[in-house]
Order: sequence, then C-alpha cells, then structure tokens
Amino acid sequence: MKETVIIGMSGGVDSAVAASVLKDQGHNVEAVFMKNWDEDDTEFCTAAQDYKDALQACDTLNIPLRSVDLTKDYWEKVFKIFLEECKAGRTPNPDILCNKEIKFKAFLDFAFELGANKIATGHYSMIVEKDQLYQLKKGKDINKDQSYFLHRLDQFQISKSIFPIGDLSKDIVRKKAKDLDLLNYDKKDSTGICFIGERNYKNFLRKFFDVYPGEIIKENGEVIGEHDGLMYYTYGQRQGLGVGGGHGKKEAPWYVSDKIIDENRLVVVQGQDHPSLYHTHVKASNVNWISGDAPNEDFGITAKIRYRSNDTPCKLEHDSKNTFIEFENPKFAIAPGQSIVFYAGDTCIGGGYIETRSNKNIS
Amino acid sequence: MIYFDHSATTPIHPDVLKKIHEVNRDFFANPSSIYKTGRKSRLLVEKARTQVANAIGASSEQIYFSSGGTEANNHVLWQIIKQEKKHVIISEIEHPAVSKVLKEIETYGIEVSTISVNDQGVVKIEELIDLIKDETTLVSVMMANNEIGAIQPIKKIKQILKKYEIPLHTDAVQALGKIKVDVKELDVDYLSLSAHKFYGPKGIGALYVKDKDDLGSLIIGGNQESGVRGGTENISGIIGMGLAAELVTKNQDKWIKNLKELEGYFLEKVEHHLPHAIHHKTDNLPGLISISFPGKKSNILMAKLDRANIAVSNGPACSSGNIQPSSVLKAIGLSDDVNLSTLRISFGKNNTIEEVDYLIKTLKEIV
Repeated sequence: MKETVIIGMSGGVDSAVAASVLKDQGHNVEAVFMKNWDEDDTEFCTAAQDYKDALQACDTLNIPLRSVDLTKDYWEKVFKIFLEECKAGRTPNPDILCNKEIKFKAFLDFAFELGANKIATGHYSMIVEKDQLYQLKKGKDINKDQSYFLHRLDQFQISKSIFPIGDLSKDIVRKKAKDLDLLNYDKKDSTGICFIGERNYKNFLRKFFDVYPGEIIKENGEVIGEHDGLMYYTYGQRQGLGVGGGHGKKEAPWYVSDKIIDENRLVVVQGQDHPSLYHTHVKASNVNWISGDAPNEDFGITAKIRYRSNDTPCKLEHDSKNTFIEFENPKFAIAPGQSIVFYAGDTCIGGGYIETRSNKNIS
Repeated sequence: MIYFDHSATTPIHPDVLKKIHEVNRDFFANPSSIYKTGRKSRLLVEKARTQVANAIGASSEQIYFSSGGTEANNHVLWQIIKQEKKHVIISEIEHPAVSKVLKEIETYGIEVSTISVNDQGVVKIEELIDLIKDETTLVSVMMANNEIGAIQPIKKIKQILKKYEIPLHTDAVQALGKIKVDVKELDVDYLSLSAHKFYGPKGIGALYVKDKDDLGSLIIGGNQESGVRGGTENISGIIGMGLAAELVTKNQDKWIKNLKELEGYFLEKVEHHLPHAIHHKTDNLPGLISISFPGKKSNILMAKLDRANIAVSNGPACSSGNIQPSSVLKAIGLSDDVNLSTLRISFGKNNTIEEVDYLIKTLKEIV
C-alpha cells in the first residue's frame, strides 16, 4: 500500500538512508526537520549545520523538506524535567523523554496534520506486529541498538511509526549513503545529550541554576576533598574527583558510591570492587509497558540499567505504583534517575525510572 | 512555481539578467584603473549611480553602493558610536538589520529607545516627541514594514525632527518599486535600498546620504565610493541595480496598478470563499497582504501550499528554517495563536489573476 510517510530528518546519515529505504519501498516520502533547541545564544548547538545537511540529503533524495519548531514543547516537557532531576542529584536521560514527548508525540501530531499515514525515524530498532500487538525489537546492529531510548513509547506511538534502517548495520547504512552520493555519509555520529552536544557540561548547567560545592567524604565520614556540585557527578564515576588514586599512582582509584543530597556531600569508596558500588535490588517508578500490560512473570526477563549495559537476568515484582527488580548478581553503579529497561529476548517490553537501589528486598 | 513572496525577494528582470551577463563578459576591468577598459568600467558604475539616484529623486553623488540593504543600515547605524551624543530612537517593528544592530551597539554605551506602533502597525508619532532628548543623535524608522506592509509617516517624523536638528534614517528596502520614494519630499538624511527587492540582483544595495560630510566609513579599505566604502566595486551588481532602478522609474506606476488590482481581487475572493480569514488591513504596500487563518497553523498551511507549488511566507525564517511568533504581529496586538496562523502573501509585477484564482482554490481546499 502506498502510504504517505513523513520522516524526521536530523541531518545525520541514519535518517537520510532511512528516507531512501522508504522511497525504495514505494512510499510517498516527505521529510521534516525538527528544531528542539533554541541555539541563538550559543555557539555550540549545531542545528543550523544539521539543517543544511538535511537539506542536502533531501535534495539528493529528491524529497521535500520542511521544518517545525518544537522548542517550546522540548523546553516544557523535556528540559524542565531534566533540570529538576539534576537538581535532585539524579542522573536523567533527556533523550528518552525527547522520544516520548517530542519525536513520537509533538512531531507525530505535526506529521499527521500534514496528512501523514505514518512517521519514520532513523532509529536502530524494529517494529513487529503480531495479532494487532506491536512489539519493539532491538535493532539488528546490536552495537547500535536504540530500543533503550524508545521504551517509553506506547502502542499507538509504535503502531504509527516505521524504523526503516532497524534491520541494517551501521556499516551498511554508511555504505548505502555513500552509494547514494549523500554528502553526510561519513558525518560523525552525534554524541551526548542533544542540547549539550560537545560543550562543557558543567558550564552548561551553571547557566541554569546555582551550584553549591561541598565535601567529598569516605563512608566513615572522613572528609577527603571538595566537589563542585552534586549534579556534576554520577554514581560509579571515577574521573574528575580530584581525590587521588588513578593514573600512575599505586593507590586504587576512588569511585562515587552515593550522594547525600540533604548534606550536599558526595560519598566515595576506593577500588572498583568495593561492595558499596554494587546492588542487587532496584525500585523503579513510572514503569511503562509497551504492550500496555506488565509481563507474565514466568518468562526470562533481562534488564539494562543504562544504555549499553549488558542485559542481566532479573526477577520482577509489582505493587500498584512501583516495580521491584532483583538481580541474581550484584550490578555496578546503579544510578537513581536513569532508566531501567526490560527485555524478553530481543523484544523491549518497557521500563521505568530507577528510584532506589539496595542489597535487600525492598518490596 | 507560483510565486507570491516578492517581499522576500523578486525574480530578476530579464533585461537586468542580460545586462549582468554582458558586463561580466565584457567589462572585467577595475573601475579604479586608468586605462581604457578601466575607464569604461568607471563610466558604467557612474551611470548606474545616476540611475539609482534618479529613481529616488537624489543626485548621483548622494548614492553609495553597498553589499545590500543590511550593509547600508549598518553603515549608518555604526556611525553612532563615534558621535558625542549617545541616544538613538527606532521603531519597534524594524527589520533585524536595524533592531539587532542596535542591540549590539547598546553594548558600546549607546542608549536605544523604541517607538511603539498602533494596531495598524504605524508608529505613534506622539511617542516620538516624548522620547526625544538632548542626547538624541539619530532616529531610524523603516519606510514600510516587511511583514505587514504598513507604510510609516516618514515625512511627518522628519518635520518633527527638524526642529531638534536630529537626522533621520529610513530603511526603504521594501518600498522602492511599490510606493513612490522621493528623498526630497521625505527630506530624510539617510535611506537604504536593496536591489533584489525590485527585480535587481542580490548582494548589491545602496545608501542615500543627504550630506556626505556626515558619513564615516564602515568597511575600510581602498578609496572606492568616495572613500567611505572600501573594496573593489561589484560592477555587474551595481550595473544590474542601476538598470533595475531605471526600470522602476519607468514602470513603477504600471506595476503599482497591477499590484493593487491583484490585491483587490484576492481580498474580494477571500471575503467570499474564506470568510473566517482575518486580513490585517493597514495602509499597506500594494500587493502585500498579511492574513490569518484562525485555528490553522501557518507552517502546515505553508507546507500544503508548497505541495501545490505555491510560494508564500509566514514570518521571518531563521537559519534552520523555523518559524517563531512574529514580533511585528505581536506589536500590532495579535495573540500567539493568531500570530502563528498568519501568512504573508506578496504579489509581484508578473503575477496574474489566474494565479490568484489558483491560490484561492488551493487555500479553499486546505483551510
């Protein structure tokens, strides 16, 4: 069936090749460039360059490109929450909210207003429909798999989406881009949080709130240094503590094991094997189940506690608000605020926000 | 493509295009060179200067070529930082080529005051009188606004300023070709022009200066343009602008008549077929229509018109092609919703009634 598919064109190689795949499949393809961040006062944001790249790609592929300004939505529904989480000393992942609220909501609405039957993006993930139930699968290129970032989508969002390159490897995508004469075929993959990009994270955050330095302490309360502000550190962090250890020193390096928010203190422990860095139990809130329902406990579920972490077998229990996860073996550096994402084999079934971690059953 | 975005830019006139090609082919010599071909280049540049001067009732030595309207504005405005007096007044609906420049100039210790506009987009002259101080060194008000077409009372403003001996600059890039521009009648001190707004080439403009002694340099280099604008002359651009200006002088009345007819026809059809549309009626440039479709989003409308191969505009686009609520539409009192449902349709000399019919038919389908 010939559908009108509107693709979110970022200026990168993935969405460009995705558009070409859609064209080959016979769809009527149009592209939209989303502007999510107002870069006027910064020199770092690359939106203008990305737009030019998107324009070139669309010219090569002979598809129309339009723009939509979603900066207001992004600010209200993604960035504000990111800031709140930072202030609370947690480790947020705005790209997950960006997918749920912007790309697969505000952009989806815009595309439908323009008459799209479906939207598409260049995500490395796959969608399979079985008995009118839409499943989100890992991308075929396991190194690139982006299902982690898509786990908050619901059935409606997934049913209206296409991921044209989900079954391709990055190498093949780049090769296709080159064959298509796309000028961005070797453009660097974007890294980091989109609105921060390559800029200095500390300087960026400092613009948005006051940051209070405080003490770095050992577990016994001994003060061994000063931190620049709790929000700059994440659990399991080793670099940038300034408390010795590490390169060229005999002493084992120090790691962030905890943040004591009320006291503005950062707790560190020595050595990567320190037990305080490992936990078996996680409490997760606001869990989204892609199918709409929590899974049947009986089948083998694995979880990722951050993007690119291993899938680790776990058991789940639920109460009316939260999900409780138990890992067989302790996991390193479980960070409150990060998303824990559940899989059944290569199917992403959902996930939630890590609230607390511990070594005993907290259900 | 059916083109209704002449306020953004105009298609180059075929005669101008031909001329530019000939100049580029035959007259490459530097106008500052004294041998025969150099002298020919000089003559062509000076002829163009006269053509531009004639189009606005100036004399040729009052015309300085620049890279466009933006540079012409910058040229005048940056002189402020060299003045003893440190206060300047602009309108709240200036193009960024004025308003943003002033924002930058503020950081050099210059104070900027803004005259607001009424709901027709016309500056409130009574405010001007209150804003004038002993320190005021320049007033800059555009001749006609680029988004809503509102024509500003430049002559009246100058009459007021005359008493205080304050010079007046006007950005007239939207005006020439659509309304009469006569520097003597307006009595302005500085006036900016841009060739591509009146069927000339891009990258060339001019600044009219009543009295050369009042003008310093912005771009410093060789002795071109009487020493106030360095850089080897853009000969083909200048000659293209000169011819485009001459075509304005010859044809403007005819063009205006056509623009008014198209506008009248369009608005009549809108009233009949699109009764919910709101036309922001102003004493406007002929053929420039600002029109809102409440409940619709202008970027969706634009995309659908684009599919039908129709080019219109919906406010000032930034580098990544996005649309923000227009500050000009805000200034005339539109809510953000209505603001973002607004299209700017700007007709040109070559548009026809048939094209307007197609626009109406398409709008009916998509609104």
